[in-house]
This record gives sequence, structure tokens and C-alpha cells, in this order.
Amino acid sequence: MSMNRIVLLMLAIFILEGSLMPWLIPVDYSDRIIPHFTFVLVIFAGLYASRYQALILGMSFGLLQDIIYYGHVIGPHFFFMGLIGYIVGMLLERKKATLMLAIAVVGFACLAYDSALQFVYSTFKITDGSYAWALIQYILPSLFLQLVFTLCVYVPVRKMFEKRMRAIESSDEK
Amino acid sequence: MFNFLKNKRLFMLMVGFLVLIVMIGLTIGGREKITWPEKFLKDAVGFVQQVFYVPAGAIAGFFQDIRQLDEIYEENEKLRMLAAAYARDKVEYNFIKSENQRLMENLKFTEHQMEMNDYSFMIAHVISVNNDANNRTININLGSKHGVEKNMAVVTKDGLVGIVNSVSPFTASITPYTELSSISTNFNAISATAMGKESESFGILSDYSAEQDRILMTKIGENDPMEDGDVIITSGLGNIYPRGLRVGEVESLKVGDFGLTYVATIKPFVNLNQLTEVFVVSVPQNLDTEVDSTGEEETAS
Repeated sequence: MSMNRIVLLMLAIFILEGSLMPWLIPVDYSDRIIPHFTFVLVIFAGLYASRYQALILGMSFGLLQDIIYYGHVIGPHFFFMGLIGYIVGMLLERKKATLMLAIAVVGFACLAYDSALQFVYSTFKITDGSYAWALIQYILPSLFLQLVFTLCVYVPVRKMFEKRMRAIESSDEK
Repeated sequence: MFNFLKNKRLFMLMVGFLVLIVMIGLTIGGREKITWPEKFLKDAVGFVQQVFYVPAGAIAGFFQDIRQLDEIYEENEKLRMLAAAYARDKVEYNFIKSENQRLMENLKFTEHQMEMNDYSFMIAHVISVNNDANNRTININLGSKHGVEKNMAVVTKDGLVGIVNSVSPFTASITPYTELSSISTNFNAISATAMGKESESFGILSDYSAEQDRILMTKIGENDPMEDGDVIITSGLGNIYPRGLRVGEVESLKVGDFGLTYVATIKPFVNLNQLTEVFVVSVPQNLDTEVDSTGEEETAS
């Protein structure tokens, strides 16, 4: 599995979460359940590939999101997607993470990501909602969507990243 | 200090944090134009996204139509009554319009003044919605090549959606009304009035309360005749946003912070979720010709 294929797959996920997901989520919950699928894939990269790969993927797709949907600022997605991906990679890169561990890590990472964004936006007075409100309004409901997505893609995505790592390691040995 | 510099990870984190702050500082508060790499990315991604969003919307719309099949009879009845009312009003409208035209000519209105409220509507398709709860930017498939410009108002058949925030050649980003904020420099203060009380009523749509899910209208005068249930429309007095766009319905009216003015909470008409078609309102811009024509008049006289 080459890096090109991984980037292409993430690009497809990125495009679908902006254009197809709004139609799959019920209208009444559209502003409460918010997909962060590219971010979940970045966490997978941290878990099953290397922390540098997670950092690069997180930074580039975060920047892409900041630019495509530029509304107030460019930067928060770019910074936090990269940072959280890197931290996950730093802690768990060499361990063979099981399904349960992966789900727990994705859950905490999504919480951290949404909280960090909410913190930045409220620091710059872009949103007037309090953190407690944001937690109930969208952070916790969208967490469930992310976990379901993790369950669905766990096997193929893990294989994909591990294949990539094995390819790198075998080329190093030669 | 030496130790701190030696810790490469911490050092990189600090540098990254600085970059974040600088980037936020540079881009906050709306820029006049976006740079060409951004335009290129937006167009490229937007082109692919509309391939998914538009058909998905069409399919979802089809199923919605099937679900509403039994309501069609009632709706038809209502529409027939509306059509009859419009036919009656149309006659009166034509009379008033021609009268107005004649008076404007008699009063020597300039070209600009006459065409000021002659808006044209451009149909655009939504191509994607941001997945960030605090920044619900909506992208549409019209851009500067089609005549869309920054700060144009965007509406649906129900009412105001937002304004155009940035434009690339083939796409444009809309900042929806949820981002209204009196602190922000790129989207605040739409002057508004109540329908039917246009000359007496005035207020400013200045904030959006995320927790209440309502638009706040401030600076309403003490003797304002506005009431609960009034329909709020834009007044066009600020000369940026066109007049007569429906915004929402007054839900409650209470005394403001300093007790001098009133604050109204307004329930918006448009639900921003699952939008398909929107209209970009283009205001005729011939300020230059106005300057020219007045100049000519002066020399002629």
C-alpha cells in the first residue's frame, strides 16, 4: 500500500464528509452530529503507522479543511489535527493496539480535538457558547458517530496502514 | 534554559504554537481577497464535491416528495388562494410601479438611485458544508466568473441565509447567519425592519446566540411599534445588503442592557441544514456612472 493510495483514500473521505454526510444525518441533528472522519483516519495513522506520518497527514488535511471552508480563521484544524495525531503516535506507535484500545483512543482524541477547537474559538470570541453547552450540544453526540465510523473501518484501515509500515521496514532491511 | 532548548519536541511544539497564533492573527476578521493557492484548492475540491452533493440532494428530495404526497391536496388549495391574491395585487402593483417610475423621472432621480433596488437573483447549488460546529461555512458552485462578489447576500425562497465571504473563480463560500457577531469585523450589523411597519420600525441584526439558536436584533427604539410575531425583513438602509429580504419572526421583545433600547430575539425562517438551492442577490453597482452623469449635468448647466 503506497502512500499515494492512503492520501487518495483520505481525500475521498474528506470530500464525502463535506458533501455526502450532510444528507445521511437526520435534518434535526445536522448541527449536533458532526463527522470528523479524516481526523479519525489521522488517529489510525498514529496508532498503526508512525507518529511522523500522523503529523504530516494531520497537518495537511487540517490545512485543507481550513482553506476549503475558510470562514473566520485559518489554523486551528491545521494545528490540532497534527498535534493530536502526533501525540497519539508518540504514546502508542510501537504497541499493537487492539480494537478496544483503538476505540478508546479515538474517543479521547475526538474529545480533545473538539474541546481544543471550542477553546480556540471562544478565546477569539468567534462563538458565544459556553464549553458546558458545547459538550452537550455537539461534542458528545458527534463522538458516537466517530466511534461507529471507527468500528466500521477498523479492519481495512488497520491493514492498510500496517501494510505500509511493513513495506517501509522491509525496504529498510534491504 | 539550555535544557529547554535541548528538548527538541517541546521546542517544536512552541514553534508550532507560534505559527498557529500568527496564522490566526493574519486571517481573522475577513480578508478582502483570498490568495491564488486557496482559490485553486477551493475550485478543485469544489468541482469534485458537487458531483456528490447535488445528486445526493436530488435523491433525498425525491424521497421527501414521496413522503409529502398526501399533503399535496391541501397545499394546492393554499397555493390557488395565494395565486388569486397575487393576481389581484399584480394589477395594483403595476399601477403603483408606473406611477413611481413617472415620479422618479419628474424628480430627476439619477440612474443609480432608480436602479438601486433592481436586484437580480442568481441560482446556485450548494456543494458542501463544513464539519465544524462553530463555523458552518457553506460552499456554492458559483464564483467570480459568474459575477458573484464578496458581501453579496444569499437567500433561499424562505429567507436570508447569509453573505458571501470569499470568492474563487468557480466557487464561493457563504458565511451563514449563525456567524453574526457584533465583535466580528466581517459579518455584523444588518439593518432591519418589521414588515408592514417599514417607516416606523428599525433595528440592527447584530448577534447570533448559539445557545438559544436565535438571531438577536438590537438598538430597537423605545417607541417602536414592533410586536411578537412580526416578520423581520432587511431594510437596505446600510446600502450593503439589499432591502426586503425576509429574515425571521420576532419571538420575544425585552429591554436591552442599558434600559434605553429594546432587544428582540428572532426565529430565523431558513433551516441551514440540507440546503440544496440558494439565490445570490446581486445589487446593481453603477456608482461610477452616477458620478459621471452628475459631473456631466453640472457642466451642462
